[in-house]
Amino acid sequence: MNHSGGLIGIVGLAVCAGLVWSPTGLARQPPDDTVDTPQTLSGAADEARSPRNANYSIDVRLDPDSRVLTGRAVLTWRNIAAVSAPDLRFHLYYNAWRNSRSTWMRERELGRGPGLAARPEDDWGWIDVTAVRLLGDAGPQDLTDRMRFISPDDGNLDDRTVLAVPMPAPVAPGETVNIELEWRARVPRTFARTGAIGDFFFIAQWFPKLGVLEDTGWNCHQFHTVTEFFSDYGVYDVRITAPSGWVVGATGRGDPPRDNGDGTSTHRYVQEDVHDFAWTSSPDFLDLTEQFEVTGLPSVRMRLLLQPEHAGQAARHFAATRATLQYYGQWFGPYPYAQITIVDPAWQSGAGGMEYPTLFTAGARWLAPPDIDQPESVTIHEAGHQFWYGVVGNNEFEHAWLDEGLNTFSTARTLEASFAPHHVARRYFGGFVPFVFRDIDWSRATDGNRLAGYRVAARMDAQATPTFEYWPGTATAISYDKTALWLHTLERYLGWEPVRETLAVFYDRWQFRHPGPEDFFAVANEVTGRDLTWYFDQVHGGTETFDYAVQQVTSRPLRDRGFTDRDPETTFEDPLDDRGLTRTTVTVRREGDGVFPVDVLVVFDDGEMVREHWDGRARWRVYTYEREARAARVHVDPDRVLLLDVDATNNSWAAAPRARAAATKWTLRWMVWLQDLMLTYAFLV
Amino acid sequence: MPVVTALLDGLRRVFRAPVILLGATALTVGLTVPLGVLLHGELQTALGEGAVADAMADGVSLDWWQQFASQATGLERSFTTSVIGFAAVLGNLSALLDGGRQQPIIVAVVLAYLVLWTFLSGGMLDRYARDRPTRSAGFFSACGLYGSRLLRLTVVAGLAYALLFGVVHGWLFNDLYELLTRDLTAERQAFAVRAGLYVVFGLLLVGVSLVFDYARVRAVVEDRRSMIGALLAGWRFVRRRPGVCLRLYAANSLVLVAVMSGYAVVAPQTGSTGLSMWLVFLTGQAYLVARLASKLLFYTTEIAYFQSQLAHAGYVAAPAPVWPESPSAEAIARLG
Repeated sequence: MNHSGGLIGIVGLAVCAGLVWSPTGLARQPPDDTVDTPQTLSGAADEARSPRNANYSIDVRLDPDSRVLTGRAVLTWRNIAAVSAPDLRFHLYYNAWRNSRSTWMRERELGRGPGLAARPEDDWGWIDVTAVRLLGDAGPQDLTDRMRFISPDDGNLDDRTVLAVPMPAPVAPGETVNIELEWRARVPRTFARTGAIGDFFFIAQWFPKLGVLEDTGWNCHQFHTVTEFFSDYGVYDVRITAPSGWVVGATGRGDPPRDNGDGTSTHRYVQEDVHDFAWTSSPDFLDLTEQFEVTGLPSVRMRLLLQPEHAGQAARHFAATRATLQYYGQWFGPYPYAQITIVDPAWQSGAGGMEYPTLFTAGARWLAPPDIDQPESVTIHEAGHQFWYGVVGNNEFEHAWLDEGLNTFSTARTLEASFAPHHVARRYFGGFVPFVFRDIDWSRATDGNRLAGYRVAARMDAQATPTFEYWPGTATAISYDKTALWLHTLERYLGWEPVRETLAVFYDRWQFRHPGPEDFFAVANEVTGRDLTWYFDQVHGGTETFDYAVQQVTSRPLRDRGFTDRDPETTFEDPLDDRGLTRTTVTVRREGDGVFPVDVLVVFDDGEMVREHWDGRARWRVYTYEREARAARVHVDPDRVLLLDVDATNNSWAAAPRARAAATKWTLRWMVWLQDLMLTYAFLV
Repeated sequence: MPVVTALLDGLRRVFRAPVILLGATALTVGLTVPLGVLLHGELQTALGEGAVADAMADGVSLDWWQQFASQATGLERSFTTSVIGFAAVLGNLSALLDGGRQQPIIVAVVLAYLVLWTFLSGGMLDRYARDRPTRSAGFFSACGLYGSRLLRLTVVAGLAYALLFGVVHGWLFNDLYELLTRDLTAERQAFAVRAGLYVVFGLLLVGVSLVFDYARVRAVVEDRRSMIGALLAGWRFVRRRPGVCLRLYAANSLVLVAVMSGYAVVAPQTGSTGLSMWLVFLTGQAYLVARLASKLLFYTTEIAYFQSQLAHAGYVAAPAPVWPESPSAEAIARLG
């Protein structure tokens, strides 16, 4: 926390105080074409990195007994779109868990069954906006009666996750308005990463949050079960009142808590250039800090709020966060904030594995052997979201693959670079006791990119479909897994450097903005110097699957015979060629609809290797060789460039296949397992 | 009779009848072979003709395994990574305690095994009770004599276990566990609760198992025809000597745990093909033989203890079984 803002900071604070506490002194701002830098709300005097057009000053009080939040906010919003806004639209995410009629709950049931709807009364949550006022020269103008719920995505009249507030007059492009909001919210027992259990509170998506006004109008979707969030950048100045003695962690830099003398304390957190604000509070946290220091990258204060039962895993959390800041920083661009907060959520909180600006939740297990990828994997992933989601702020309602996919790819690469080898583990006895398979190494290509998840869901949706319209049961596979696989395929096809540079340019060009898919594709084409549209059309635009196979291989003695034209007459030759050669015929086939250029490697039994390049377009292709040696092995895509290939088993052929030996080996192990199972149940007789 | 004495006596009886141990091993292996042949064919087909088979021959390809699992049906679905090394033991124990479901074909084989075991256990108990060779004729005669009785007893036991697994288990591990852990925020506390419930459920299992064990012993040693009577006799025996019965059961359980722990140390994971895969298999079989021996040890120690409590130690109520001559031999004898 920078407490030495000096004169600028004092002026800033004074202006801030005026903004927040003197509503009558505020006036509508005239339209302004320039992207101005609003007054910084704390001592920080750094230059605006983002448009800062949605700024929040919030006071919130947590009553842990009733699990009720009482909040008041002043939103300072500048219309940076090219169109006027006749109304303002707010997300009220907590209403997704108001009842089972919400769109979120309906979609959840569609994808995963009705389990959540059966939860007890105490689990449900809600948010009620109790007052909306437009602040202006003439004093506050009450807009509360104008509020109405809308459901722009599905017309579900029972859904209360989007609130529209018609304005007395449209907000013109460039114009700034100040809106005061008051609300009450009941914190749910977690349905989706936000909620409470016991004394652990993880509070996200908790305040009325403005949607994004685009040149085409409001982009303010209802809350859907498979999507996350989208909002504009701004400055958040939040004062959180919680029981004294409770640890509070939040987006941004925190001041020392102020004791209110009534058993509560108020914690102030401020952060510029972020598009969301989350916080957590619990009396149980271990509060640890370390500094990230790597040459060439800005220093970052890492704060870890750890569950006491994971005290022994503090170093693992810090190491994973450090690896993320280092590798993402060196590959794509530096982390721009001065601090990052890692929250180790309470067991059963359901809050693990989620990202928010400058703060994220990891996820550790009590029994966590050192050579498995938990908590490292989830820590890297969520820390990585600071780059893909936090800094590059794509629309997660519509293009979740942009942050989730890029980040899954980056996570796997970082995990491989920093922690390999990890092993695969399985948990037994209620999921508590891990068994580590030390002969099974974690693989970046298949495990990190989650090929197994993609394989079974490959055709469920085209990635170009707006994410909130994905089939709820398989959305993750399309957003996370497929993107990671096609990016890694691109890395193997073009090389790491072009892909890294693509991501770095995308990061640099679109930081603190809202890019879409076409922006990413344009950067990729520009940086690589290639038109990759053919590729993106397939992996993003369609549901094609890729599957190349060795269909048939024959190696037979050359036995051509028949008439040949030789002077002076046509003669019958048997054989036509008596050099004792073998003709090898290799047929490769494109089983899937997707097209990708692949190599075909033919290895002969004298050790000679021939590598062919096939553009992969035709349904099949034949390669013929006439030589003394016979084919020993054939491999289509021998380097496994095409990680999207959904069936790698048919990619190769061997003259002496070892499937029988392998099957014997594994059958023998399976027999031991079955015998042990029989003996386990023989306990009963 | 002190527990140690019963344990040593039981061990002696097991090792003095190695054919029973070998026979039980043969039964255990034999039942798995037909399914093994089926699975072998499925695996060979799924492994294809190329590099993936090499990977699975030399080690393991998790990618292939996941692909196989995503398409697996029936028997193939039982081929999971839990077949590797000591995971097999952990996985099976976990499945028993957590009420895990198995594929129908696996359930059928296990049920067949339990029925066969029950049938043969008449001969085993008889042999161990006599503590002298009965030869195959005597063994199978005892199987025939006691088989149907023990099967009836097993039906009653099945009802008791159905109650335990079908009702009590669900109540403990779904309702009570949910109730006790719903608001816990520390995993170790939840694990402690679960471990406690395992102990509770385990004690219930042990209690039922103990009564039925002594019911079997009394059914054979005292040649009881009424299995309800044997069950009540088993119950009375345990009720009057709970301390020794439980200590003896615990001692046997410790032997079982020692066998499992030994396997945990030596159990190989993936390995390769050729000689090494047979060594892995033989290591597994050695463990299973030891485990079978520990299973039989429950029988022998309980027989030894029960007999020590009778007026005439070593007394067997049933008459020595007489194997009838074949019809042909009898016809020849009549001719003479």
